[in-house]
Amino acid sequence: MRERDDSLDQPAVRFERVNLSYGPENDVLSDVSISLKPGSMTFLTGPSGAGKSSLLKLAYLALRPTSGRVSLFGVDTSRLKRPELASLRRRVGVVFQEFRLLDHLTAYENAALPLRVSGENEKRYRKDVEDLLRWVGLGDRMDAKPATLSGGEKQRVAIARAVVVKPDLIIADEPTGSVDDEMGGRLMRLFRELNKRLNTTLLIATHDLAMVREAKADVLRLADGMVVRQPAPVEPAEVGAP
Amino acid sequence: MSAPSPLLPRQDMREAALFFVVSALCFLAALSGLCARSAYAAADAWTDRVTGQITIRVRGEDAAAARAVAIAATFPGLTEAHALTRAEAEGLLKPWLGAAGVPADLPLPHLIAAEAAPGANGVGDRLAVALKAAGLNATVDDHVAFSADVAHATDSAGLVALTAVALLGATAIAVIAFATHSALLARRDIVEVLHLTGARDSYISGLFERRFLMLGVEAGTCGALLAFAAAAFILFVVKQSDQRIWLLPQLSLSLADGLILGLTPLVAGISAMLAARTTVLRSLSEMV
Repeated sequence: MRERDDSLDQPAVRFERVNLSYGPENDVLSDVSISLKPGSMTFLTGPSGAGKSSLLKLAYLALRPTSGRVSLFGVDTSRLKRPELASLRRRVGVVFQEFRLLDHLTAYENAALPLRVSGENEKRYRKDVEDLLRWVGLGDRMDAKPATLSGGEKQRVAIARAVVVKPDLIIADEPTGSVDDEMGGRLMRLFRELNKRLNTTLLIATHDLAMVREAKADVLRLADGMVVRQPAPVEPAEVGAP
Repeated sequence: MSAPSPLLPRQDMREAALFFVVSALCFLAALSGLCARSAYAAADAWTDRVTGQITIRVRGEDAAAARAVAIAATFPGLTEAHALTRAEAEGLLKPWLGAAGVPADLPLPHLIAAEAAPGANGVGDRLAVALKAAGLNATVDDHVAFSADVAHATDSAGLVALTAVALLGATAIAVIAFATHSALLARRDIVEVLHLTGARDSYISGLFERRFLMLGVEAGTCGALLAFAAAAFILFVVKQSDQRIWLLPQLSLSLADGLILGLTPLVAGISAMLAARTTVLRSLSEMV
């Protein structure tokens, strides 16, 4: 695991007066300011079209804001050069709503992708990846291609890919949106365990309010591109305290 | 432990079509290169053959021819002069009159072959003046006009061939760049996932560069082999015709030709790689 550094004392995600528009009169986010404590677990909720996915894309550096500042771990991302952005992305695990697994790779190869692109030697990480896939219940599906996996299995591969580098921040867009309730519960337990074990900051977009209530975590609600921070429930950030 | 799957999917139909197009372009470019080289080589050979050679035609009796030989043999700037026999003169006409030869009753001019010393400029004109002063009805041809015409014609042919090579090369690069861009668009999902999982631009670009380097080398090799086969076929046909097919390029498959054929895959591969690199990096720069 990477050694913890001073940047982990900084907010894992910080938006300062962020605006995002996809063109004239097409504002998606307006004057958004948020700050996520390191090790916190936060749900992002709101109706469809409220801008949840856009906010997450800004957080995982797939988009740049039209104005305002986005910082990760205390680093102003607008000042970074492309190689530095790539390094920062390696500290962020993303679970995409539509999984975005590579169809020609096996479940194992998909899960190991972040390690492979960062130049790690497969001999060193193979056992860790296999253990991780067993942990998410895919020990017997490692050689399967995504086309042969169920929705829940694909989601677990996507989650394994997001957590395999033990990132400091995990961003998940509707991670339980395509699985049944039982599988959704299992995946949430997995997230909570990551949060507890590794002090990983979690930002999860969801429509599932029952899951949010059960998790007892911070909630950010988006409405018409504006963020409304809900009162923090009992024991929010301490969930992931080291 | 099995080898990991490549991050870019294996070749699909799009790349098979691209392979065909690049192979065809490389074939045409290599063949044009061979033609350009053969044009320049033929020009050199023809001009080398006649440079310094002087032909004197003497009208009149044998005695006039003998006097002309005597003058030429001692003329300053000429190293050698001798009268051609009738058989040698008939040999010169063989390409036009065929193996049947010259009719015995056809009068032929007396021909004298002389050779100018290297650097002896204008010796032909001076010799003509001297022969005329000696009262001989003779014509001196130092082949300068012929050499100039040959050089001009072959230079033009070579230039056309080189232009064709350049155009075909540029077309191949443009096609590869377009195909790379299409491949990138078709695999944008893969590129985005790699990008968002922390792959650096150079890493993603490297995947495409290696893929297109190999495609260029393989297609270039295929094109070069086809060009070699075409050149060998032309060479065979020319040989079979006893060198009488003048319209076909005089290909020789020399060391220089081998160099052209050998360089074709290398140039195709490097061009494809650079086109892929430029296209991928430009596309990636549009992402955050």
